Amino acid sequence: MTATSEAATTSRVAAPSADQGRRKVDPTYLVMLLPPVVLFTIFITLPGIVGMFYSITDYAGYGDWKFIGLTNYQAIFSDPRILGAYTFTIGFSFVTVILVNAVALALAIGLNAKIKFKKGLRGTFVLPMVISGIVIAYVFNYLFSTSLPTIAAALGIDALAGSILANPSLAWIGVVIVTAWQAVPGAMIIYLAGLLAIPTDVYEAADVDGASSWRKFTAITLPLMVGYVVINTILGFKNFLNAYDIIVGLTNGGPGTSTFSIAMTIFTGFTSGDYAYQMANAVLFFIVTIAISLFQLELIRRRGVSL
Amino acid sequence: MGALAAGPLSACGSGGGGRTTLRFYQSKPEVIGYFDENIIAPFNQSQSDIVVTHDATSSLVASLVREAPHDLVCNNYNLEPGTFVARDVLTDLGDLPEAEQIRPDVQELVGQYATPERASHVLPYSITAAGVIYNVPLFDEHGVEVPTTWSELIDACETFQSADITPFYMTFADPWTIQQGLFDYVGGGMLDVAQFYSELEAAGTDGGTTSSVSFRDRFDPVVAKMLELVPYTNPDAASRSYEDGNTAFARGDGAMYLQGPWAIGQIAAANPDLEVGTFPLPATDDPADLKARVNLDLALWIPKGAANPEAARTFLSYLMTPEVMHTYNADNLAISPVEDAPEVEDERIARLGAYVQDGAFYQGPGTYIPTAIPVGNYLQTLVLSRNGDEFLRTLDNDWNRLAQRTLV
Repeated sequence: MTATSEAATTSRVAAPSADQGRRKVDPTYLVMLLPPVVLFTIFITLPGIVGMFYSITDYAGYGDWKFIGLTNYQAIFSDPRILGAYTFTIGFSFVTVILVNAVALALAIGLNAKIKFKKGLRGTFVLPMVISGIVIAYVFNYLFSTSLPTIAAALGIDALAGSILANPSLAWIGVVIVTAWQAVPGAMIIYLAGLLAIPTDVYEAADVDGASSWRKFTAITLPLMVGYVVINTILGFKNFLNAYDIIVGLTNGGPGTSTFSIAMTIFTGFTSGDYAYQMANAVLFFIVTIAISLFQLELIRRRGVSL
Repeated sequence: MGALAAGPLSACGSGGGGRTTLRFYQSKPEVIGYFDENIIAPFNQSQSDIVVTHDATSSLVASLVREAPHDLVCNNYNLEPGTFVARDVLTDLGDLPEAEQIRPDVQELVGQYATPERASHVLPYSITAAGVIYNVPLFDEHGVEVPTTWSELIDACETFQSADITPFYMTFADPWTIQQGLFDYVGGGMLDVAQFYSELEAAGTDGGTTSSVSFRDRFDPVVAKMLELVPYTNPDAASRSYEDGNTAFARGDGAMYLQGPWAIGQIAAANPDLEVGTFPLPATDDPADLKARVNLDLALWIPKGAANPEAARTFLSYLMTPEVMHTYNADNLAISPVEDAPEVEDERIARLGAYVQDGAFYQGPGTYIPTAIPVGNYLQTLVLSRNGDEFLRTLDNDWNRLAQRTLV
């Protein structure tokens, strides 16, 4: 906290002299900045605005259309399938973020310790990250639907003899496991980088004071890693709220509609002539995502962590 | 706009030796090669005005969004192209002599998904008929005749079950298979599907409510019969997919299988020696009610923005010459939609083909429901929970909600 307010003061003091610098902006910055701004505007901002416009029409993506006001938005709030998708996606993201962070942190600490084959193990644990989500999903689909039940049946465990993906109240667990399996390496790499940045002398001092490993973890590692936890949480939420490919390959939204994500419902608009309605859904999803991001940024600001 | 676009494009085409380049879209995976070799190549050689190029990968909707549609499309006709007709982005083909050869009862199928008065904007090309695929040796071994009534069907199930054979192999992990099979066959076998949906359309924003026409009202007996068949399926149906089903049925794990002719090729690939046949699923106790579930597997249309509509009509006429059309259909387990179509010879689909030629057919009730309503997923819940009331209520509510927001 003190660090940020100090920085703020210095920048305020430095402000008057910045006047001079403003007149001669290095053209290199313009050259670097202009293409991304233009590309972002053409491919992200403009289509976004066009989509928002069509969300108040009955457009199918082609052919005739007319304005229908806020009918699409009103309909969303009484559509149990869309509301169900929001409940599922947000709940799923929440659980997955916690699971991914816990596992990734544990793995990072383990792989940072003095163990044999450290490099090889790190490489192995990163593998899931480089495989495409849809491929992972199909492989796990086979494991959950065929291999696991066969093993469970052979061992006489009746509770696991059916596929969890075929059980409407358990299928989400399968989705969480597979998503986490793919997302853990990315988070783990960030944590490893964080652990390497902690100076070793703090630990040495703790050793001199006779602190236990657990005490060192809670009093040194965790507080110094808070910034990385925040980064992983934000990146995780961003990815999991957009969940699509793994769910399509694993359950395709089923059984029933129990694992339908928001991105999947939006996508149905393209094939059903329901374009405008799902555009309204997309606008709503955009607002929800912005709200969640602002909330997270507020958390960061309060904790005084810089990104 | 169309004329403006046509100018530069056809000029482009004529750059290559004065021939018009025709963009033809056809994406049924099983016959892409067939079209290239047996239809397009001979046509390109037979004349010197038109060069047909085959597009099998791009998105039809995207081409309409870009306002650069194909010249001629030959693809599956379902609710999605139905919206093309409803949104009036296709041209009327009713004036073509080929349109007059088509059986009126088949042409009518086009309008059932869209605006009936624009039915002639799409010409049927190839009909596929679906029903129960059955394992002929198993039927013979247990002395079971092909059932023609509901009670005979249940008797057959009992016979197989007491012999420790799964009567129906089902694949509930793929929702579309429940929709295409169990739901469509029982629903189509019991009700006048087209009539029901036209009443539902006519009810407008009242459709799906108890005061008017609703699924609850008409489909209650259908759902009851569907659930009566569920106990006769393989115990692991909930986690089996379509591919699993094809291999399992080919292996002999089940006497009957609710799939269309597209699965017959897959089954033959897994076990070429298995003799299979097909019959319409009996859902009532009157054999006169037997009908085949049909699908306009391929149909032809020319979008309004097509760059070369005249060339498209020329190629369309070629496609619809009896030699080309009847050969294609005979080679691909399908039926030609015209009055003087030859009889179906392939034994595996001959029985269903006869029903189609007698006019005893329907389009599956599941195919009338827009994808905005995930009926396949609801059916999955139904077969797992066996709660028919909840299924019908969900369907009615969704239908009504869709009507409320689309009919404003």
